[in-house]
Amino acid sequence: MNEAPFEEIEHTADWAIRVRGRDLRALFEAAARGMFSLLVDLAQVAPERTLELDLRAIDAETLLVDWLNELLYLSEDKGIAFSEFDITSIDTSMTAPGLAESRLQATVVGGRVHELRRTIKAATFNAIAIRRLDSGCEAEIVFDV
Amino acid sequence: MPLTKKSFQPLGDCVWELPQSARADMQVAVRVYADDKLLQDALRDKSFEQAMNVAALPGLVGPVVVMPDVHQGYGMPIGGVMAASVPDGIISPGAVGYDINCGVRLLAAHVSHAEIRHRIGDLATALFRNCPSGVGSEGVVRLGSDDLEDVLTGGARWALARGYATASDLARTEANGTIPGADASHTSARAIQRGRHQVGTLGAGNHFIEVDEVDTVFDPTAAQVLGLFPGQVVIQIHCGSRGFGHQVCTDYVSSFQATVRKYGIRLADRELVCAPFDSPEGRAYLAAMACAANFAFANRQVLAHFVRQSFAEVLAKEIGDATLHQVYDIAHNMAKIEEHEVAGQRRTLCVHRKGATRAFGPGAPGLADDLRSIGQPVLIPGSMGTASWVLLGTEDSMQQTFASTCHGAGRVMSRSHAKREIRGEKLREELKAQGVTVRAGSMPGLAEEAPRAYKDVDRVIEVVARAGIARKVARLRPIAVIKG
Repeated sequence: MNEAPFEEIEHTADWAIRVRGRDLRALFEAAARGMFSLLVDLAQVAPERTLELDLRAIDAETLLVDWLNELLYLSEDKGIAFSEFDITSIDTSMTAPGLAESRLQATVVGGRVHELRRTIKAATFNAIAIRRLDSGCEAEIVFDV
Repeated sequence: MPLTKKSFQPLGDCVWELPQSARADMQVAVRVYADDKLLQDALRDKSFEQAMNVAALPGLVGPVVVMPDVHQGYGMPIGGVMAASVPDGIISPGAVGYDINCGVRLLAAHVSHAEIRHRIGDLATALFRNCPSGVGSEGVVRLGSDDLEDVLTGGARWALARGYATASDLARTEANGTIPGADASHTSARAIQRGRHQVGTLGAGNHFIEVDEVDTVFDPTAAQVLGLFPGQVVIQIHCGSRGFGHQVCTDYVSSFQATVRKYGIRLADRELVCAPFDSPEGRAYLAAMACAANFAFANRQVLAHFVRQSFAEVLAKEIGDATLHQVYDIAHNMAKIEEHEVAGQRRTLCVHRKGATRAFGPGAPGLADDLRSIGQPVLIPGSMGTASWVLLGTEDSMQQTFASTCHGAGRVMSRSHAKREIRGEKLREELKAQGVTVRAGSMPGLAEEAPRAYKDVDRVIEVVARAGIARKVARLRPIAVIKG
């Protein structure tokens, strides 16, 4: 489930990645792996702690950016990096009036690392759009560093 | 149709305009300060596309202004200025960015480089040891939540009360180091949690402390007012509001995704989310942004205290006067409520500067008495290993650019490209050969900030000087760099 590809794309000042997945679940997992691969060597992260996440947002793109920023916050707060990401459920079709329209639940695993390569201040909404492809979906994410 | 140089109409020496008609959704024009080369450089990335996205926001007054150090950012380009009408315009957290009140402070010694050349290595080591830096760095200033609230509302005033500042430091700080209207109740528990351990920390990325020598003085009268002389040792501090500011921006950019729907605001880029200035959401962000701005003023003030301690620790026994006076402290990521003349009328505006510096000219209100005759000092850090500059705001910057000018050299090479091409260890040796001592926590981080990744800062300064939106006081040459 963590095999979906991501690649760095050129950005003059910050870091950006393009991520793809066969579905939203794979896309979100790839985005998280891509982001943490900018920060650490994922193979060096010991699987010491498991956290459960439950997030809601007004649409799929906001959910994607919130998911990444949630992980950045938890990483700084707990002094760990994450290397395993399992979206256990994701629903972007909820339409209950007055409620968030999208929701994800996830289990993430991480641990202490010797050194983070850099700081990511935030995942941004710059030109954010989840594009549906024949083979799944794709998004580009710009990080402020 | 892709933009080319022909898309821009020349308005004067180093001034160009991309007319409102360049794209159907633009509400105002884009005015660019650049020479031919810098204009061509900026055409290579998405700088102007992002400036046009900003120009499509509602409630703007006058053109979106683009500085010669512009480069692609996220939402607003870095080196961008937009002015929104108050109270009937908008305020945009995305147009201020994540490092709210990232800025520069310049301290000046009363000794020349020649006198302490033999102690620069020791000074660099002391600065690296005493000023916490690096990813996730935490400070020695531990604050309870009540103390942090005092930081958020007081800024540099808090630092003065706690013995980290002098009254003359505050007089030589933009807005005297305190942005009014800060209200911590509009910031999240997460922001508070992140901020509590980070007052007095440098962080990582492009933030640094740099020891410089005053290389050339262009305006002796202004230099005398600022206490600068040729050969003098000065120290720059470049950092911002750390995790507190990042979290404030993250929270509001996320929650404003719903706010723009509520108010029916259409955006060319979702990072440019905004709220009507005179709305509960807009007022809440303004109050939260002020907290982050004050955090940053306090942060740079505490770092200045550590720099002063380090300087005295290394040099007090050797030189008669081991004190450092503050030349100035300026922000380059902030939204400020200011009065400007637009088409002959005084207007109250919310001026968003993202990678741009306030540049009040002589006589502007709010400047300390001794600065009133010369104008507000503007501090322009160059890339690592290249020159930095001390400038002054002008009448022209007041008239043309909502009292704004450039903020640095501006990147031209991506971080991934720099990382591939440049090795940190080799760069450190090259800098050493140029007479620049480096203390850095991360060699890859050093490589990303290599001088080759940036524009020629002297060229950027020539543009703002020729266009009249700043004037030169002094050029600084680096002698030691301290990075996380």
